[in-house]
Amino acid sequence: MTLTQYVRNGWYLGAWSDEIGRTLTQRWITDIPVCFYRLPDQTVTAVEDRCPHRKYPLSLGHLNDEGTLQCDYHGYRFDGQGVCVGVAEQADRPKAALRRFPLVERDGAIWIWPGDPDLADESLLPDTSWLTDPGWTHVHGVVPLKARHMLLLENLLDLTHETFLHPTTIGNAAVAATPIDVTVDGDRVSFSRHMIGIEAPPFYEKSCGLTSPVDRWQDGDFYPPGIFILNIRVAATGTEEPEGFHMKVLYGLTPARGNETHDFYALGRDYLIDDQELTKFQHEQQLAVMQEDVYALEAQEVMYATDPGGKAESSIKSDLAALRGRRAVAKMLAREQREQHEQSEQQGARIPRSRTASV
Amino acid sequence: MTSRSAAAPDTRPLGTAEAPVPTRRGAEFEGTATVRSRQTVADGVVSLELAPSTGDGEAEPLPLWQPGAHIDVVLPTGVTRQYSLCGPIDAAGHSTRWRIAVLREPHGRGGSQWIHDHVQEGDELRVRGPRNNFPLRPAARYLFVGGGIGITPLLPMIAEAEAAGAEWSLLYGGRTHGSMAFLPELAGYGERVSVRPQDQYGLLDLAGFLGDPDPSALVYCCGPAPLIDAVEAYCATWPSGSLNVERFAAAASAGPADGAAAEQPIEVELRASGMTLTVPPELSVLKAVEEAGVPVLSSCEEGICGSCETPVLDGEVDHRDSLLTEDERAANDTMLICVSRARGGRLVLDL
Repeated sequence: MTLTQYVRNGWYLGAWSDEIGRTLTQRWITDIPVCFYRLPDQTVTAVEDRCPHRKYPLSLGHLNDEGTLQCDYHGYRFDGQGVCVGVAEQADRPKAALRRFPLVERDGAIWIWPGDPDLADESLLPDTSWLTDPGWTHVHGVVPLKARHMLLLENLLDLTHETFLHPTTIGNAAVAATPIDVTVDGDRVSFSRHMIGIEAPPFYEKSCGLTSPVDRWQDGDFYPPGIFILNIRVAATGTEEPEGFHMKVLYGLTPARGNETHDFYALGRDYLIDDQELTKFQHEQQLAVMQEDVYALEAQEVMYATDPGGKAESSIKSDLAALRGRRAVAKMLAREQREQHEQSEQQGARIPRSRTASV
Repeated sequence: MTSRSAAAPDTRPLGTAEAPVPTRRGAEFEGTATVRSRQTVADGVVSLELAPSTGDGEAEPLPLWQPGAHIDVVLPTGVTRQYSLCGPIDAAGHSTRWRIAVLREPHGRGGSQWIHDHVQEGDELRVRGPRNNFPLRPAARYLFVGGGIGITPLLPMIAEAEAAGAEWSLLYGGRTHGSMAFLPELAGYGERVSVRPQDQYGLLDLAGFLGDPDPSALVYCCGPAPLIDAVEAYCATWPSGSLNVERFAAAASAGPADGAAAEQPIEVELRASGMTLTVPPELSVLKAVEEAGVPVLSSCEEGICGSCETPVLDGEVDHRDSLLTEDERAANDTMLICVSRARGGRLVLDL
């Protein structure tokens, strides 16, 4: 796996709504520094966090009550559209503007499109209405991960690892013993695994008050390049699935910079939604499980990073969804690079000197 | 031909529980048999009845077999094909009469076409077997589902179920009435047999035929992969071991499409290296390329990991991997050379 560049023409989870307010927040996304903030009308804005003057981070600047963003190095000021409206030193307004990213704020999540704004298509976002559906409750957050996002992607697309990496929480032998079905629909990769009459893993036993045996369903959908949603259903063996317990886990696999990733998560359930203790228990468990993954992925990252031209990997049948996911992302990246190449060929003669000059 | 059942198969044949069962593992017949008769039994289907070849001396009888058994036919072209035995059985559930039915498959690898075009009464064929991967286990009730030429292993099973006094029924599908073999033999069973040609009835009504899970029943199915897949999906909620299937071709997602033995050598041109290799059936394209000294990445050698993915410049790929999606296969511009081969016998690779 040599994927070190990131797909940019795609939606990534940039922030949870409750993270962003009138304070300037820097978050690196696909190797781009992004400054998030809200305008006075509460709309969220994301601009490249580099002042066009001398690249000072705007997130170290100020946001005034009118929504004007000021760079705190030499005083460049930008309006809500990212257009420079003045600078302290001179009366003339420098012709400069900030790169603004297409955003969608929906169901408490802020989605960002770091690539070509003309291609940003809101309809590519999956349904996340359960995050605000009154029949559901959820917890969410973000965990820093020092590993490339492809490793997280493969972790999520092959939940066989639950058996080995999470034996005290969500995994047991039944997971690895049950094969998965994998389907590809356009770019989306989906898998499903139906475990019938199995022993309930501890997390589900406690979360649902169930005793073994149970039926357990896992259906995962990966929306490349960076959104994964897992549908979990657990029911007493023999009962109908709709009578069971439903959970959903959303992961935003957002490349940060280098081989670091923002591991956004949301865990929702459609039962006992007012049970605060259960919420607390589930949140602690979710973070404990993620921590186990973080340890593993960061250890794995070191091994990949120190073995760049290493031997091909060995793969087994249960890797199929992950391998399809890897291909989907690789294809998107190749497509994007080809388009960029064609564009720069067409515009080759018109590249301004300032863009080619080295500083 | 592969067969499987979720439970360990009980190889004890019906109706012979007390009798010692001859085991032929490792002692199967291999030699020549004479084609005693050749008959066209449906559109594109011939049945061949095989008899011991007398040669110079006394003819030894062909070995006994039980329902579900198949033999290998080794053609002079080097191709080996498997065919289920479908001759009549005696009251003890045995048969010495070797009869096979061969469907002409124009898009196959040539084995069935050769038989259709060349084998006549009195000819000798090289055969091996019989072997039984699809034995009929004892049950009070049987539900048989046959698709097309997949009826062949079910015919003797039905005879045995009938002889044992078991309750049984058969759902038999095919493209058209005329393409469905052995209808006259089946007619004698009356309403137990539902003949459902697709041009009149559409797809088989599996739900109507199989009904609710029945712990006393065993389901036996043989036919094209989509039919077996559908029956498997339908029987997913049945007790483990209820369903027994035999596939004439391996699952589309993995493995050779026509039985590893039924292979032809293929020619592979490595354009970038400027060489052309002849890859015999027992060698993968990957191995042949490696042996020719062309370095190529590989790992699992099972068509899963994608390490050996190679651009295809010309020729039609016979995809046998698990990784590529249908769209990627259809594009025919890439292949996993550890398992996949050529449909037209020739490939040009960018190696």
